[in-house]
Amino acid sequence: MRIVVLVKAVPIVGNERLGDDHRVDRAGGLEANGNDEYTLEAALKLTEAHGGDVTLLTMGPPPAAEALRKGLAMGAARAVHVSDPALAGSDARATATVLAAALRRLEYDLVFVGADTSDGLGGVIAPWLAALLGLPYLSYGSRIEPGPDGTTIQVRRLGARGYDLLEAPLPALVMGTQVLGEPRYPSLRGIMQARSKEIAGWSLADLGIAPETVGAGAAGSRVTSTALPPPRAGATIVRDAPDAAVAQVVDFLAARRLI
Amino acid sequence: MTVRLTPDQVALRDAVRELADGRIAPRAAEIDTSGEFPWDVVKLLAEHDVLALPFPVEDGGLGGDLLTVCLAIEQISRVCATSGLILAIQELGSLPLMLAGTPEQRHRWFPDMAAGRTLPAFALTEAGAGSDVADIRTSATLDGDLWRLDGAKRFITQGSVANLVAVFARTDDAPEARRAHRHLSCFIVERDTPGFSAGKVEHKMGIRGSPTAELHFDGARVPDANRVGEVGEGFSIAMRTLDRSRPGIAAQAVGIAQGATEVAAKYAAERRQFGRPIGDHQMITAMLADMATRTEAARQLLYTACGEVTAGSPTASRWSAMCKLMAGDTAMAVTTDAVQVLGGYGYVTDYPVERMMRDAKITQLYEGTQQIQRLVVGRDVLARGG
Amino acid sequence: MPGAIWAIAELDDDGQPTRLAQEVATLARGLAGTAGTDAAGVVLGAGEATVQAAGTALAAYLPVVLTVDVPAAAGHATAAAFAPALAALVLDRKPAAVLVGASPDGKDLAGALAALLDRVVLVNAAAVRWTDGAPRVEMSTFGGRLVTQSLPTVDEVLILVRPGSTTAEPAARPGVVTAVTPAVTDALPLVRVVERVAAEAAAASIDDARIIVAGGRGVGGPDGFGVIRDLADALGGAVGATRAVVDAGWIAYSQQIGQTGKIVKPALYMAVGISGAIQHKVGMQTSGTIVAINRDPDAPIVEFADLVVIGDLFEIVPRLTAALRARQA
Repeated sequence: MRIVVLVKAVPIVGNERLGDDHRVDRAGGLEANGNDEYTLEAALKLTEAHGGDVTLLTMGPPPAAEALRKGLAMGAARAVHVSDPALAGSDARATATVLAAALRRLEYDLVFVGADTSDGLGGVIAPWLAALLGLPYLSYGSRIEPGPDGTTIQVRRLGARGYDLLEAPLPALVMGTQVLGEPRYPSLRGIMQARSKEIAGWSLADLGIAPETVGAGAAGSRVTSTALPPPRAGATIVRDAPDAAVAQVVDFLAARRLI
Repeated sequence: MTVRLTPDQVALRDAVRELADGRIAPRAAEIDTSGEFPWDVVKLLAEHDVLALPFPVEDGGLGGDLLTVCLAIEQISRVCATSGLILAIQELGSLPLMLAGTPEQRHRWFPDMAAGRTLPAFALTEAGAGSDVADIRTSATLDGDLWRLDGAKRFITQGSVANLVAVFARTDDAPEARRAHRHLSCFIVERDTPGFSAGKVEHKMGIRGSPTAELHFDGARVPDANRVGEVGEGFSIAMRTLDRSRPGIAAQAVGIAQGATEVAAKYAAERRQFGRPIGDHQMITAMLADMATRTEAARQLLYTACGEVTAGSPTASRWSAMCKLMAGDTAMAVTTDAVQVLGGYGYVTDYPVERMMRDAKITQLYEGTQQIQRLVVGRDVLARGG
Repeated sequence: MPGAIWAIAELDDDGQPTRLAQEVATLARGLAGTAGTDAAGVVLGAGEATVQAAGTALAAYLPVVLTVDVPAAAGHATAAAFAPALAALVLDRKPAAVLVGASPDGKDLAGALAALLDRVVLVNAAAVRWTDGAPRVEMSTFGGRLVTQSLPTVDEVLILVRPGSTTAEPAARPGVVTAVTPAVTDALPLVRVVERVAAEAAAASIDDARIIVAGGRGVGGPDGFGVIRDLADALGGAVGATRAVVDAGWIAYSQQIGQTGKIVKPALYMAVGISGAIQHKVGMQTSGTIVAINRDPDAPIVEFADLVVIGDLFEIVPRLTAALRARQA
């Protein structure tokens, strides 16, 4: 199974900043989107059990390579890093277009995408890509397994009341969630071996995409203002014995009309 | 030359730190009080490929350079000096083969060492030959196509648990050979060789979980295929080995100092006297500052020395001696100060700093005493005029 | 007059518009009123009777409801079946804004639709207001640390709307339901549903709970969650959890709050045995009132809670539950 795993480099949680232009400042530290590593882990387990290998694909400025390095240390075979200054400020549409172009240059049986974190790109990139590439789309995967005859993929799609077992022929695009299982820590062997693994750099020119069709200038929306939410007042700290403490909590909740 | 760790060196350092903090730190106190060799830590380090770091990739190792190995030794020693020593000895014991072994010898022994199945030891010191290495009496005599070893070694780290020992023995009694430092040769002696046995294991001040043993050679015979390097090359191999292994001990020392500083800093932030954390009292603040600064200085010298040694600098011996000298003295001073910061609590076994102070002392003694390091450096200073 | 504002309505297992769909419908109606244009709802489903019934329910919120029967959706993942039909409808009638509720199905549909139409999507809308002839989207970014306002740079957009953007409110009088059959030209690969498996007792949803009692590692194990559930019951709230707890298998992922789980904004968030690490904080820091119960006075959560009780949660929480029940009696 040849699996391409998309890795999205996002600002390290807690360190996020907007630049002066109201765009996410990616110059600070970047790490892989929270669910990407769960999805990568699922891909590694599948190739370990059924043969094949994993290629990482990311689109982002040069520091995005950090997220790739960890994935290579976990066991991916190689990586592709799409990077071009003209990509700065790209919206979901441009991102999907560029990633689709990159995927068209790769060979795969499966494309894996991690579910967007709560304030990521809204969970649209994965279905968008699938539609652009004409791939069956299986989303919110909590378990991913090859179908009985090896030509299909079966995915449990998480729902509020259980799951749907989906099946589609390969090649397919699967979006995975955290429920796939804890990612492995990169081993020392993995960290050392990652040094010799290939990270191919592709630019917009390599993908045949005109710079004016992507980036901030082509974005479908612009931020007009930013504001901080109102600050919280400091905490009242209660250290009393349990009964006295509980009485204070009840009074507090009552005063705020929460009970 | 400036030192910047590469991203994978940072990743590796952090991965080892996490392993040490999570799995080795909880064992450190018990390893010290029981004085038992921590086989479980050997297994853990083997499982996580830590012991594979120094070995070539084609023999199942990770191909780590000297700095990479030192990063790992430092992180482990932060929480347990005995455990850090296990990796340091994995490297020390294999260095003769790395430097002078044939490809066949390396392929024969390295895979098991990389996998952590084989532990080595480095047997140079004797009761009468410590600093005076050249005065080794253990002899190796060619008997047919076997070498017969007779004699005894003392203070051999891991001597009683090693599967193979790099032994230095006299192969030429002639005074000219002695003067030319061509009188010693190096042999690999495997554990179950008849005539080879481990003797008394020392009771020590520190690194108590690491067995320090006497080794006895009573007509132990090894094939010529176990000879490492040329006949007469032993002294040179030993010296070149120490040039490369001293940074490992410096790393152990820097790790001990760092660990002690962290314990002292945490304590000073929490312990309150006279209405405030003691860390706010200037004498303590100053001590912590000095501890951190000296540790960092020793660390930077170590990292630079690793780079110089790896690059094959003509002054590699001087760098190696300097970093070990600096780190050992730093570890002793910093751990002593750490006990001081903790006051009475620093003296009792409830806190780890008394153990760290006892552990630190050995870094001023083995792999060449501080006095020997000063000789090496001083002679070079005189020779180069600076 | 600008193009219409559409609300795409997701249906629940009983074939009724979900609460989120009702909110989005209400939002669309309101925006259309401000914009001086028409509002319409779109219901897609498998089977005429199904879409008719759903359309009628949705018509309580909108003056016009279009229903589209997509038989292929039966037994398949719906987004790939619906998107081509919806795309054809959009191309035919050219609404200015298509609002989709940001549920998993909604996001899947929006992504596929955007690809077919090559259209701009504004995501994560916490609120939408019609300003200067365009829908202005309010987004909470970085887990609530920043609130941004965005305007589209094009005339026709898709907007993914989060739960809680508005309160669902029926219109003064019900609207008209019309079945339509768009001329579909595209197709997307359909994905078969082999089987549907129901979970055991599904917990109360945290998505729009007014009160959430969440447990972290301090709870110690699946049994520890009993005290959390009891407190949630006494407060009439839902049970939430941190990622560590979900990964340890003590509670289902649907209850997870945080960066890789859900972002919630209840009026009251009780954090029990939760340290308040950033990955969790981003999921709940905009809650109205935050009460933390923790034995560690240096836990990060102390920095952003309103009330902090330092103590053993197993001493405090049962007593709190008892006190609340006594009060209700």
